[in-house]
Amino acid sequence: MHLKYESQLREPLVTGDKNYHQVTEDILAPIEGKPTKLWYVGFYIAVALLLFGVYSVYREVTYGIGQWNLNKTIGWGWDITNFVWWVGIGHAGTLISAILLLFRQGWRTGVNRAAEAMTIFAVMCAGQFPIFHMGRVWMAFFVLPYPNSRGPLWVNFNSPLLWDVFAISTYFTVSLLFWYSGLIPDFATVRDRAKTKLRKHLYGLAAFGWTGSTKHWQRIESLHLVLAGLSTPLVLSVHTIVSFDFATSVIPGWHTTIFPPYFVAGAVFSGFAMVQSLMIIVRKVFGLQDYITLGHIEAMNKVIVTTGSIVGVAYLTELFMGWYSQSKYEGYTFWYSRANLFSPYGWSYWGMMACNVLSPQIFWFKKMRRNLFVTFFMSIIVNVGMWFERFVIIVTSLYRDYLPSSWSVYYSPSIWEIGFYLGTFGLFFTCFFLFAKYFPVIAVAEIKYVLKTTGNNYKDDMAEVEAQKLDEFVHDYAH
Amino acid sequence: MSKKHWQSFGELNNSDAYKQSVKDEFREDLPMEAADNGFLEGKTPRRDFLKYLGFSTAAAAVAASCEMPVKKAIPFANKPEDIVPGIANYYATTYVQDGDAVSVIAKVRDGRPIKIEGNDLSPITNGGTSARVQASVLDLYDTSRLRFPLIDNKEVKLEDIDKAVAAGLATAGNIVVLTSTVVSPSSKEVIAQFLAKYSGSKHVTFDAVSYSGILQANEASYGKRTIPSYRFDKAKTIVSIGADFLGTWLSPVEFAKQYAVGKRIDEKKPEMSKHFHFETVASLTGSNADERILHRPSETGSVVAALLAAVNGQAVSGLDDKLKKGIEKVAKALVATKGESLVVAGSNDVNVQILVNAINEALQANGTTIDWSATYNTRQGIDADMVKLVADMKAGTVGGLIIYGANPAYAWFNSKEFVEALKKVKVTVSFNTKADETTQLCKYVIPDHNYLESWGDAEIKTGYYSFVQPTIYPLFKTRQWQDSLLKWSGATTDYLAFLKTYWSGKVGGETGWDKVLQDGVINPAAAVITTASFNAAAVAGASAAISSYKKSDKIELVLYQKVAIGEGQGTANPWLQELPDPVSKATWDNYLVISPALAKTLLKIDLSVGGEADAYEVQPPKHVVEITAANGAKVSLPTLIIPGTHPSTVGIAVGYGRTEKLGKGVLADEGGKGMGANAFPFASLVNGTVAYSVADVTLKDTGDLYKVAITQTHNIYDTPQGNRTEVMKELTLAEFKHNPNEILEERDKELKPYGGIANFEKEGTIYPTFDRPGIKWGMSVDLNTCNGCGACVVACNAENNIPVVGKIQVAKAHEMHWLRIDRYYTGDPENPNVVFQPLMCQHCDNAPCENVCPVAATNHSSEGLNQMTYNRCIGTRYCANNCPYKVRRFNWLDYTGADSFGDNQQPLVDEGGLNEVVLDMNDDLTRMVLNPDVTVRARGVIEKCSFCAQRLQASKLTAKKDSRPLEDRDLKVACQQACPTNAIVFGNANSEKSEITTVRKANEKRLFLSLEQLHVLPNVTYMAKVRNIEEEGEHHGAEHKGEEKKEDAKVEHAGH
Repeated sequence: MHLKYESQLREPLVTGDKNYHQVTEDILAPIEGKPTKLWYVGFYIAVALLLFGVYSVYREVTYGIGQWNLNKTIGWGWDITNFVWWVGIGHAGTLISAILLLFRQGWRTGVNRAAEAMTIFAVMCAGQFPIFHMGRVWMAFFVLPYPNSRGPLWVNFNSPLLWDVFAISTYFTVSLLFWYSGLIPDFATVRDRAKTKLRKHLYGLAAFGWTGSTKHWQRIESLHLVLAGLSTPLVLSVHTIVSFDFATSVIPGWHTTIFPPYFVAGAVFSGFAMVQSLMIIVRKVFGLQDYITLGHIEAMNKVIVTTGSIVGVAYLTELFMGWYSQSKYEGYTFWYSRANLFSPYGWSYWGMMACNVLSPQIFWFKKMRRNLFVTFFMSIIVNVGMWFERFVIIVTSLYRDYLPSSWSVYYSPSIWEIGFYLGTFGLFFTCFFLFAKYFPVIAVAEIKYVLKTTGNNYKDDMAEVEAQKLDEFVHDYAH
Repeated sequence: MSKKHWQSFGELNNSDAYKQSVKDEFREDLPMEAADNGFLEGKTPRRDFLKYLGFSTAAAAVAASCEMPVKKAIPFANKPEDIVPGIANYYATTYVQDGDAVSVIAKVRDGRPIKIEGNDLSPITNGGTSARVQASVLDLYDTSRLRFPLIDNKEVKLEDIDKAVAAGLATAGNIVVLTSTVVSPSSKEVIAQFLAKYSGSKHVTFDAVSYSGILQANEASYGKRTIPSYRFDKAKTIVSIGADFLGTWLSPVEFAKQYAVGKRIDEKKPEMSKHFHFETVASLTGSNADERILHRPSETGSVVAALLAAVNGQAVSGLDDKLKKGIEKVAKALVATKGESLVVAGSNDVNVQILVNAINEALQANGTTIDWSATYNTRQGIDADMVKLVADMKAGTVGGLIIYGANPAYAWFNSKEFVEALKKVKVTVSFNTKADETTQLCKYVIPDHNYLESWGDAEIKTGYYSFVQPTIYPLFKTRQWQDSLLKWSGATTDYLAFLKTYWSGKVGGETGWDKVLQDGVINPAAAVITTASFNAAAVAGASAAISSYKKSDKIELVLYQKVAIGEGQGTANPWLQELPDPVSKATWDNYLVISPALAKTLLKIDLSVGGEADAYEVQPPKHVVEITAANGAKVSLPTLIIPGTHPSTVGIAVGYGRTEKLGKGVLADEGGKGMGANAFPFASLVNGTVAYSVADVTLKDTGDLYKVAITQTHNIYDTPQGNRTEVMKELTLAEFKHNPNEILEERDKELKPYGGIANFEKEGTIYPTFDRPGIKWGMSVDLNTCNGCGACVVACNAENNIPVVGKIQVAKAHEMHWLRIDRYYTGDPENPNVVFQPLMCQHCDNAPCENVCPVAATNHSSEGLNQMTYNRCIGTRYCANNCPYKVRRFNWLDYTGADSFGDNQQPLVDEGGLNEVVLDMNDDLTRMVLNPDVTVRARGVIEKCSFCAQRLQASKLTAKKDSRPLEDRDLKVACQQACPTNAIVFGNANSEKSEITTVRKANEKRLFLSLEQLHVLPNVTYMAKVRNIEEEGEHHGAEHKGEEKKEDAKVEHAGH
């Protein structure tokens, strides 16, 4: 399949006239060398954030959810906003790995490893919120359906929160397996190049005895396909189920059938934005411009503008339905609590609109799609916007629901709520820094696949063929 | 011979050593010897192993047990006959506080009173209670109660203080016994005995909020210095001029009950009493009025004079047009129902009250709606007496002052002068349960019993006696004040013996005494309404005096009482402090009440602008305004904008700004400051009586902000996207008469897409429906008789161990009340109509909270209860989010001390995240008030109204033990029992005979379910509020008319 002819019109996926050895050298350089100062600075900042997060959670667990500023009307605020936000971010990895693998999108190889790692770390971060938003987190195991001594007491299979438990844990497991199985050949490469015993031993353990035999390759390829097949529906189902947390409720602003596709599109949108943010840094810091090319970045920007527009259509549909349904309650939520800039949370709605719908339209211009600075800036903006979206959905629906008597006072987070959020950033980046240092951030083996078919060398070789006339070509190749 | 394999040279040579080793069991020596050598000589020899083991186990056990809290559950060695663990005893007694007296039943569990219920045998209150009565049980367990006698703030023995006081009094000279109103006839006798012993002594009565004006006016008009019974139940037209008779005026529980009689609607013959309310600052009663007319405080005299003139058919003059029209209308209504009209006024001005008497006389109220057969003993203070007392004290002619119940150092308008004068009194004695402002200044303090520890009697109205008996042995070294007085007057008997002697003759010996204690009350044989002869002589003088009153054109200030706090009786009670004020829905503080119009000019907040209204509502910090009066009184308070307040009038509640000795926990604010400010210094003496208003105050916006903990921030159910009439339904009497089916039609229209009312349950869902056989609990709330007083809320607190969370937490909207009273405004924002809607868990049959809980911690019982399993709850709060009624409450912090994590309250208190009151409420003493039948919830779980599940279980058991089906008499839920107006009905809705079924059938046309269209199928039904106004309702009629027109237009269109 990889011998498929690559058009001259499509730019090469790997630039810089690399050969196989160079690929290995380039990508494994950070693992085999000493970390830079920059790496240390970043890592320590991440660890500091993580520790602050740990302390914030400690306070919340010791003293209670009252350490946050949630109230009788707003039962979920930053906690679930952040949960959905992180889960959304965790979408791109699997989408890139699985769906793009199935669609044979060669360009995924440059970014899939890091994107998958990001997925896993993001899902880890996301998981903290539903766990620690519980009033009695030490009883969290109640959500697991296990045979127990409490008589016929079972979990409630009607509850979307329970579906979440299954959806997120399945997604996490499959993503982890997918990611890890891809890492095995690369670990073996690191092992084989190791200069110290410890390194050899540890990477040897991680490589599961990979020898690179044809049988191994055959199996891992099959495994990839199977896992890709499994993950593909998961990409769609996870955020669909997360959206059910809201869609199956009775609260105006939540009770909406549009949510599943809208959430999935939003998730892909934010996930790609996060991949952009990280990749632009990684390629710069580790000098991997030849593997993560502007072509990659442009491709992802196309996904961003597409999904951003889907999300935009969803927002407008919601507004339309708010009016068309002629429901006072829906109408109030969409037209007063949200679309009215002068209502207490109007700013968050328009912040969302500006970040998610208006600003990505800039990517209709090729120049902008290929501009690193714009891309980086936009990737941040999109994730801010997507955070606003979840905040808008959760808080502006809850704070003024059915009974005007229970409408809430203004909710803004406490330092410990913010701390928890920052802590997940700490967790994410701590993991990511460790990943960048100890794991090949680009799939070495997979790059080598595409090197032959889309590398610069290959293109040069093929230029001759390209220039050939048809009968010459037939003559040459028809043995 | 085969080759021999040898393993060692020993074997090869077959040495002796080898031979020996083959013989031995082990070829090589086991490494035992070396160890054996030192074993017994070692530091821990083998034989001592068990010793060490025993010691370390014991030491570990001892050490571990040091950490364990010791909890004692000691069984009775000799069990008292009448105490059965787990079974409650009920004692009839009387809540007596500063002249307020209500006959009650105390529920005593395992020797401690835990709940107060009304006494059904009292014809005055008929089982009704108020928030303050309900909360009074908590005062018994107040941690800041005085625990022993004091001389100069040092603990002494009772004998010592008796000696010292006796010595002091003997040489003191003139002695004055200063009390709040004493309603107890036997205590009056005790005081009389005391006064007889000391020549020159006298008794002065001081009421914090004075009724001197009405007492003196009645003396002038009727020759009786007393207050007659009012019969609001007999009145078809009720006019109140600033008398908050449903909340704080005179006898609110009784009046609420009477008032409800006129407000309860018979659907077949819809008639209602009509209530006009003149007021200056929004009150609970004004909020219930059919029509509220606003005026300035300085106009009160003119309003009354004008009303008298109008009633007498004369022209009204001297008032602005709006007021004039209002008065003419009121007079017309009053005259139309002559003989069934009643006018009351809250003013403490003798002249005003004389004119009110004249109006009532003109309306033939005397003998119809005003009953002189029984007069109130609950207010007896005359301001002139108090003025004279202070003057005497200043002059040094008072040698001894014995104070019971009165607190002039706080509540007298010129408390500074009183405090100065008190210094000149040689012997000062205070009987009090707490070290209030006056008690702190007294040399001798003998702590008094709480009423639940006391003996006594009360004559609430003439002939209506109510008895006080102890329900618990005194908790501290306290003594009933009557005992002290008896002792000092040389009597040899104690008060109990005195009381028995006093009564046994009257009630027929020991048996009769036992009977009255059991009943708690003695009622007069038959109440016949009688008149008193009216003397019109004073009217002319009063009119003349009033016509000379100056009308102010400045901003005026009115002092008012809050329903829960009163004159200050409720200040130190956390339940009352946390009860949202029915009018403002604010807790824990007092504040300056201003009108929306004044807010526009003073604070630049225009509530008619959406954004500004939002900003005002959602932000708890409110503008602090400095209020200054000409007499030098000055306070800074946050402002709340309360519609229904006159644009030129501001109000401050009294009862705040108290000494921290009443309970540091209750009174300390976030910054450790006292809560609120004392407003009594704004009062002044006018024409011999205390006036609770100031004609000219200066307001200055200080620019500071102060957080006020308000539980309801948004007050109207109309939105730009439509009027949420599914939430609340109200209409006017005229509309109801015109079309009795209006509510039914409206409901049917709302449910039309889902099959209309008839088929809604089935067609409103895609799921199958179920039969609900057996018991089905249901509740019904009549919004016409509910006046929003809040008694049910406090009753629910007491019954269900609902934690107090403190101001900081309420400001974060973390209050825990299972039952709240929503208050909505409709109509004119300056003077709106108000409707109250008690809201508790609706126990939906198709509950949205149930299906979202991941662990099935909330589920449905076969009896229709939405149940909460605290043990199973993990606290995701999804149920609370998905509850359309927002009645679910989450334990945000460890409010109860029941958490599995220790020591997580004090650190929060220290860093200012939690009020000290939470610690107070978790004190071992305070926790004695907990209801042992109800779980104390731990942190992190959701809780909500359970329909008093414990009472339901008990009632089913009662019925079962009697082998009969459950009946209504088996149970009352706490809110239902507390309600003075019987607005709440509860029972088995599947039973044909039950009251709930009857009530629902009888009120079918007013019945609605809040948010019915959601198909959550609530089990709480409401009966729409009907207002007795002729004009079509502001929203309802208008909307309806509009729709009709639209439909007409459509029909016409179709016709063409």
